Amino acid sequence: MTISENGWRGLKAYWDMFESDFAQTAIQLILLALVSLLIPASYRVIVGPTLPDRLQAVDLITTLLIGIIVMLALVEGTENFVDMAIALAAFAFVGTISIARYISEGRVF
Amino acid sequence: MLLEFVGVGALIFGLFFCAVGVLGVIRMPDSLTRLHASGKVATLGLFGLLVGAALLMPSAWLRLLTLGLFVLLTSPVATHAIAASVHRRREIAASVSRQREIAEEPAEKEPTAERADARAMDVTAVLSRSRIQDIIEAQERALRHQRPDAKSKRDP
Repeated sequence: MTISENGWRGLKAYWDMFESDFAQTAIQLILLALVSLLIPASYRVIVGPTLPDRLQAVDLITTLLIGIIVMLALVEGTENFVDMAIALAAFAFVGTISIARYISEGRVF
Repeated sequence: MLLEFVGVGALIFGLFFCAVGVLGVIRMPDSLTRLHASGKVATLGLFGLLVGAALLMPSAWLRLLTLGLFVLLTSPVATHAIAASVHRRREIAASVSRQREIAEEPAEKEPTAERADARAMDVTAVLSRSRIQDIIEAQERALRHQRPDAKSKRDP
């Protein structure tokens, strides 16, 4: 299916293929980029000089994971993954608050 | 088609802010400046990703809007809690080093007037040496995030 075979109709077919695949390809590339962002974020968890730095980096990783789950819902076309992202956001909030209190006050409650 | 282009543009916007936030978390020199960088990921980056997802998958827009509002409400609170813990730990460390200076300086036999005034301004100066040592130990224990043990208290 080239231009020499089919004339401008072949080009139109290429454009249609690009049009149908464009969003899916872009979503997959963005998902790949988000997953690769986890590696430099975990650098701060390992190296981070104090405890709040590590906590903050874990919070950042959780935020990235919420984005990754949403992108995965886009790739798979499954809406129910968004519910998982909501639950992860809720538990990450509670965990971050309680650990921040624990490392500053020495106790949670 | 236009909706797909706009949605992918919003996704790239969110990805850009995610990358900038992670770069700032690695490169920034201080805890609080790193917090400033990582706050951008949760608000701008994740919100851009959610707007793009809502444009590309319009049937799930209500769940995505719920998630976006929740993250927009809770992530500044979490960032503020971490910043408050950084500030509190710095306060504890500063007061420990100050009280160690007070405990280690030699006791003067005849305190002069301005010296007495300077010590009276300081609340910790009215405490005895052993009490100051106790406070230092308790705060070092708090720095090591351990609960103070009730049984090992020396004076009732």
